[in-house]
Amino acid sequence: MRLFVVGLRKLVRRPATFVTLGLLVGLLALIYLAVGATAKQAAAAGNGGQAALLLVTFPGAYTLLLSFILGLGGLFAMIFGAAIAGSEWTWGTLKAAVARGESRSRYQLLSFAAISVMVGIGLLIAFAIGLVVTIVAAGLAGVPTTGIDDSATLGKLPPLLLRGWLALAEACALGYAIATLARSQLAGIGVGIAVYFGEQFASIFLPNIVKFMPFNAATAVVATSGQFGGGGGGPAPVRLDPDTALVVVAAWLIGALLVTALFTERAEISG
Amino acid sequence: MTEGLALATRGLQKRYGSQTALAGLDLTVPSGVVYGFLGPNGAGKTTTMRLLTGLIHPDAGTIEILGQPFGRRDRRRLFEVGALIESPSFYPYLSARENLRALAAAGAPTPRSRIEELLELVGLRDRARDKVQTYSLGMKQRLGIAAALLSDPRLLLLDEPSNGLDPAGIVAMRATLRQLAASGKTVFVSSHILGEVEQLADVLGIVAAGRLVREGPIQQLLQGEGVVRVRVPVADVGGAMRVLDALAAGGAGAKADGDGGWLSIHIAPARAAEVNRALATAGIYASGLETGSDLESLFLELTGGDGSNDREGTFGVAGASAAPAPRPGAGGTP
Repeated sequence: MRLFVVGLRKLVRRPATFVTLGLLVGLLALIYLAVGATAKQAAAAGNGGQAALLLVTFPGAYTLLLSFILGLGGLFAMIFGAAIAGSEWTWGTLKAAVARGESRSRYQLLSFAAISVMVGIGLLIAFAIGLVVTIVAAGLAGVPTTGIDDSATLGKLPPLLLRGWLALAEACALGYAIATLARSQLAGIGVGIAVYFGEQFASIFLPNIVKFMPFNAATAVVATSGQFGGGGGGPAPVRLDPDTALVVVAAWLIGALLVTALFTERAEISG
Repeated sequence: MTEGLALATRGLQKRYGSQTALAGLDLTVPSGVVYGFLGPNGAGKTTTMRLLTGLIHPDAGTIEILGQPFGRRDRRRLFEVGALIESPSFYPYLSARENLRALAAAGAPTPRSRIEELLELVGLRDRARDKVQTYSLGMKQRLGIAAALLSDPRLLLLDEPSNGLDPAGIVAMRATLRQLAASGKTVFVSSHILGEVEQLADVLGIVAAGRLVREGPIQQLLQGEGVVRVRVPVADVGGAMRVLDALAAGGAGAKADGDGGWLSIHIAPARAAEVNRALATAGIYASGLETGSDLESLFLELTGGDGSNDREGTFGVAGASAAPAPRPGAGGTP
């Protein structure tokens, strides 16, 4: 428990936590405001603006916003996980803890538990800010926000946010595991980004396999009519149904943590 | 086998690929002493430290810490061990106090008051709220020593503890470590700074090529390694050497240390007055006289460096020093 609490404190004091969240929220705001400012004209000109308007039309905007956060946020969560895990090796702080007799796997798993809590908080903050930005963007686009209090959609939000949290935690765990294997922040982030974009690219050729891959499964845990932040253009992606995706995401999450714990237990810690 | 020992290793072996780091290391570290662990670069000092803290695991051999076997599943044995291995490791964006709190959450339970005591001890109380990334190397080293002392360990393992410390810091660290040993704790100091170890350690272990080549109380090891240096007028160097050779009958003869008229002779420091008298009797008056023990000669002899001046200015041979002269301690003047 001490490790978990200290883990949270470390993350609150760490600039990377706020930089990552700031980048996600900043990009989200930029894209939504741009959509809000241009969608109406684009729709009038018949340039696909109708689809863009869906992004700021409630109640569907709720799930689209969550989908957006899971897509782009998945990448950021993975980078965040890699940064935290990698720095434990490069700064030698894992070494210092192990030399004090701390269990290696316990240290890693409790550190990750703290990170996943921060990711959950980050998701809530991003969603809340995203909602405000969506309302502003709807105003810019001249779209009424009448569906904002749709009780059926609002009732579904908590379980959807929980699913989203699991999806982001999975991406984060993946980055955490890669950086642990690489024992480096930079290598972890680099390989993680390559996996993320590699998966998007491979989905063009091997959609039936790639739908089981971590990032595709993560975006599928929230059923939406569109996809944002996970690559654009091309044919409609082949997706798992949300419940199957949830199981696949949980499997990736557990697998990543197992790899992290086992590797750390067996690793020769030097440097 | 380890009654009264703080640390013991038997046949400790470690290889990295085809390279042998330790080739059967047998260390015997008594309780309540400062143990100086000496060796040239690449001799296996850091590998030993890593093995003793469970960071890496031996290919063969055994380790006993505080009288109990220490292996992969005995990590709790480290609750009574404090360590500073290689460079101090901290979160750069946290303050000294926050770093110590973060570290205290791992391993042995540590009361919060202990952190304040240690910040005071290492002289960082005034800077305890500053981020570690703003610290100098010496300040990080002080904080590293505080971190090693967090759980009030019975055994302290320190790798180059004086690294980066200013002279006042070195003196304070030395006093602290001596005080810890006096209170019954064991301090295991790995270093290649011979003068530092000579002033600090009660017992020495010298390692070369992954094996222990000499171990024992420092006074015992340096017996017969005493050195007396005298400075005579350059014109009298020849005559002085004959006088000194006669004094060291049966031992190694006197040798000149450079062109400044300095001569050194391997005899007990207690015979310095006798050296001075013999020179004066021969009509040669020394303008300087120093005494000391020649740990450097012993070290070079045991670790394969010959200490000759032929390679001056090079680092060609592991363990060899470019400076051939012994390191006398503070000596009297005639």
